[in-house]
Amino acid sequence: MEHFGYLFATYSIIFVAIFLYVVFIWQRQSRLESEVRALEAKLKALAEPKHESAAAEPGAKPSP
Amino acid sequence: MARKIVTSLGVLSLILVIAALYMVFEYVPTEADEGIVQRIFYFHVPCAWIAFMAFGLVAVAGIFYLWLGGQIWDDLGHGAAETGMLFCTLMLISGSLWARPMWGTWWTWDSRLTSTFILWLLYGGYLMLRVMIDDSRQVARFAAVIGIVAALDVPVIILSVRLWRTIHPAVLVTRQGGHGLEDPRMVATLLVSLAAITVTFAWLFLVRFAELRMGTRLEALARGIALAEVRTGDI
Amino acid sequence: MAAFTAILRKDLRLELRSGQSTIALVALALLVLVVLVFALDPAVARGPETAAGALWVALVFSGMLGATRVLTAESENGCIRGLLLSPADRAGLYAAKLAAAFIFMMVAEAAGVVMMVLFFNLEFDAAMMRVAPVLALGALGFASLATLLAAITSRARASDLMLPLLAVPMYVPALIAGVRASAAALSGAPFSAARDWIGILIAFDVLFVTAGYLLFEHVIAEE
Repeated sequence: MEHFGYLFATYSIIFVAIFLYVVFIWQRQSRLESEVRALEAKLKALAEPKHESAAAEPGAKPSP
Repeated sequence: MARKIVTSLGVLSLILVIAALYMVFEYVPTEADEGIVQRIFYFHVPCAWIAFMAFGLVAVAGIFYLWLGGQIWDDLGHGAAETGMLFCTLMLISGSLWARPMWGTWWTWDSRLTSTFILWLLYGGYLMLRVMIDDSRQVARFAAVIGIVAALDVPVIILSVRLWRTIHPAVLVTRQGGHGLEDPRMVATLLVSLAAITVTFAWLFLVRFAELRMGTRLEALARGIALAEVRTGDI
Repeated sequence: MAAFTAILRKDLRLELRSGQSTIALVALALLVLVVLVFALDPAVARGPETAAGALWVALVFSGMLGATRVLTAESENGCIRGLLLSPADRAGLYAAKLAAAFIFMMVAEAAGVVMMVLFFNLEFDAAMMRVAPVLALGALGFASLATLLAAITSRARASDLMLPLLAVPMYVPALIAGVRASAAALSGAPFSAARDWIGILIAFDVLFVTAGYLLFEHVIAEE
């Protein structure tokens, strides 16, 4: 079984590399998910005060 | 729906990989001249095919981006380039690990390895360019142009390298001509490995692509919210 | 057509006035050749093959420098916006840039050939006539490649790294073919020896001039 080391190394590297790539994508995915949550919170914050200020000062908003 | 496709691709990839590994290590007979190291071939060659195919994808995505617009094409090209780069790297590493026990050297300027190495440099240049340009719309346009031009260049590269190698047979080490597989079991193993690598590529590519799409949509969403914030005077 | 000549004349006139780029190109080619002369083993006889290789190495590096200077001169003072707003058509702009880069490459090549003959013990003979078209084909290929790429890399960070990083792998076929054809020309080999290589050079030039022409508009638009 000469050169078995090279054979083993090659296949291990292939699968470790694929595994690491999946981990890399996974990490970015969770970062994106926290961004989503942050943006959802901002959206909610925008939705509420808008109704209040619209009721209180109808003419105070600057025209877009 | 999309998530189900991706997940089932992942499962299929795992099944095919296990099947391929079984065939590579148990089923296929040992090659007469090269010994057990030759088994590297069954994953090494599909990686090369996938690497070149993926680069074609990058170019096609680039053409569609320049023609139709739409960030989705750029995300497609970007995902294909990253995943293709992964398999290109694996081809080169496995090529080196095969060359060492076979010919006693860590690298040989065999025409296939050389062409794939140039392809690797092209991938690297493409991906580095994406990092080095700050404006996101310019990135997409420039990446598309580079992808197209580089892909058009690849056939010329392959031809010139092959010609270059045939005039230096004595100086540099050559691999045995074509991959002549005498035993049908070897052909079967190669085909199954090719299927395994292809499905794995498709799965990894789709996962990365989905993530890029999400990033694009998030960017648009963030921009919309920032605009809304400005309008309501919150900022 | 008018745009082509106008832009080309402007670039050439600017260069004739200051001569900066030409001097830089020739100087860099000289320096690279000097480095190679000292780096190569003096005991080994240096034939036309080595000379051809050294020449092309020098040309690739000085070409990279020249390309950046010639092709990005406008982006520095915002002049590119003026060019784009003018009625000049993109094809004329591309052709002018390509012609300017080609002329500069040819000047560098002429100087490079002289230095090569001197440094590598060659002769100023009929071989010069045979090598000239090979070098011209190589210069055209490099100029068209660099015209397209420099427009992109000048907008990138680390632009002086990005141009070689992209240009070198793409130029490989022309480099391989060019050196082999030049070596054949210099060593007096018959044309049949160089025929395949010249074919590759021609194919490379056709590919990059065409692709450059078609894609150039996507590369210079400002957002």
